[in-house]
Amino acid sequence: MATLMVVDDHPIWRDAISRDLGEAGHEVVACLGEGRQALTAIRQHQPQVAILDLQLPDLSGVEVLRALGEDCSTEVLVLSASGESDDVLEAVKAGARGYLLKSASTAELLEAVERVAAGDAVFTPGLAGLVLGEYRRLAGAPAEEQRPRLSERETEVLRLVAKGLTYKEIAARLYLSPRTVQNHVQRTLGKLQLHNRAQLVRYAIEHGIDEA
Amino acid sequence: MGIETQLRRAITVFRFAALGYPLVMCAILFGVLVRPVTALLLVASIALWTWLVSASYARHGFKTSLLYADLAATVAAVVASAWALELSDRTAGISVGPWQAGAVLVWAVSGGRRRGVIAAAVISAVTMLFRGGINENTVSEAILLILTGLMVGHLTRLAVEAERRMRQAAARSAAARERERLARDIHDSVLQVLALVQRRGNEVGGEAAELGRLAGQQEEALRTLISSESYRHPLDGQRDVRELLGKHSGESVTIAAPAVPVRLPSRYAHQLAAAVSSALDNVREHCPEGTHAWMLVEDDRNAVTVTVRDNGPGMAPGRLAEAAAEGRLGVAQSIQGRIEELGGEVVVVSAPGAGTEVEMRMPRPRPKAGGHGDTDGGR
Repeated sequence: MATLMVVDDHPIWRDAISRDLGEAGHEVVACLGEGRQALTAIRQHQPQVAILDLQLPDLSGVEVLRALGEDCSTEVLVLSASGESDDVLEAVKAGARGYLLKSASTAELLEAVERVAAGDAVFTPGLAGLVLGEYRRLAGAPAEEQRPRLSERETEVLRLVAKGLTYKEIAARLYLSPRTVQNHVQRTLGKLQLHNRAQLVRYAIEHGIDEA
Repeated sequence: MGIETQLRRAITVFRFAALGYPLVMCAILFGVLVRPVTALLLVASIALWTWLVSASYARHGFKTSLLYADLAATVAAVVASAWALELSDRTAGISVGPWQAGAVLVWAVSGGRRRGVIAAAVISAVTMLFRGGINENTVSEAILLILTGLMVGHLTRLAVEAERRMRQAAARSAAARERERLARDIHDSVLQVLALVQRRGNEVGGEAAELGRLAGQQEEALRTLISSESYRHPLDGQRDVRELLGKHSGESVTIAAPAVPVRLPSRYAHQLAAAVSSALDNVREHCPEGTHAWMLVEDDRNAVTVTVRDNGPGMAPGRLAEAAAEGRLGVAQSIQGRIEELGGEVVVVSAPGAGTEVEMRMPRPRPKAGGHGDTDGGR
């Protein structure tokens, strides 16, 4: 069981999800519908996992993610109606630990929440495909840019995730432990987030936002 | 208002202004005109024609018959001026001057540089024939006239083309904006509700579960529809492979692909998509109900690779070769044939109990030297 917070501007959704999570034995410490509220509440309650919608009336989900930064112990699982690949990538690069569509089943949601609460990243095949594509895109970016690279093993693991294999199946195929597979996956996401943060900082310095 | 209309108006203004030349000349040299009344009549009829033809262009546009009539009238005016505007004290009479350029301008604007040059040549030839033969004056006049036809015709084509492109771009960006607005609305409302119906339906079970399943299908379909990205990234002569494959996404097929367009020349993209369809058909045909398929689209600059994996029963090694030997060429022909025809390769990996994986690699043709081979996948 974990302490959770649900942030979604759709009241029916909020209620449905928090009820499902409550029934599964988790403690939902707050249900909120706005980004700023959510930021304050997350900092105050420090739930293990915040389930965050991207579409909020004041701040976007991505802005909430950026504002939270890394010094917050709360992990964020995005639950969005949008499957647009740009939205997914942006959320993940801003620090989300997982991205689920609202069409995911209750069982999938519960599994994702538990994995995120345990500190693991939730990688759907679709997300793995996007991350692979993003690394390849960055590889083709102008050379002066610092760009993150995947090791051969990481590429191999990500490809298998994208092809729908479970961590267990991947572990069996590559003669690794499931934990090692999970670590590889986690690292691919970590490098991307780090790169994204570095870019944001560089952008801020270049444009003088930093001076304030 | 289009560029042609604007040019037509400018020409009308020019033609009336150019009428000033024979008018002023007649006024100054009235005393030495051999046939003053005829001269006035000619200038008056030129003015009348100018008004008539301009009004007709305004109403009917540049109609071919009107263009020929205009050129004929101009030629007639040039011929008539040699006699009607004759002066008693010098060899050459008054000419219609710049007015004759009006017909050249109209021909150039309506038909491009070749038409412009033709009109200019006709008028120049007539001038030389009836007004003093080939001399310094008539030759330089002819050169100016032909240059006018050439340049105005050329520039008009450029302007019209630029206008057309601008209009296309504006329409495209308006369509994209509208689509994005729609997509946002749909995300905010319809998709949420459909997802909710699916969720609750599954929990209630029975008939409601069926309703929930249908809602889920609709959600998927709608999602594919609004995420089609070709509107945002116009691709000249190329297709986004993701878009062609998107239709397969559904309950039993999961697609993983990059966030940026995966471009291939149209023929390659369609061939690849057809091969993928065959691979999926194969899964449906040979695997039990409930088998799931995953599709991974990868773009490594030199080639696009699509992998289709299923969690079906799989095949014993050599099964494919056996089938081919027996003359049943399903997979071999439709998948390998399509991919290998364009220089790609297919790898099939399968084992009993471990599903089947078909990896199709379609190379990007090298851009031809000199052509603009802009195939980079970046944004």
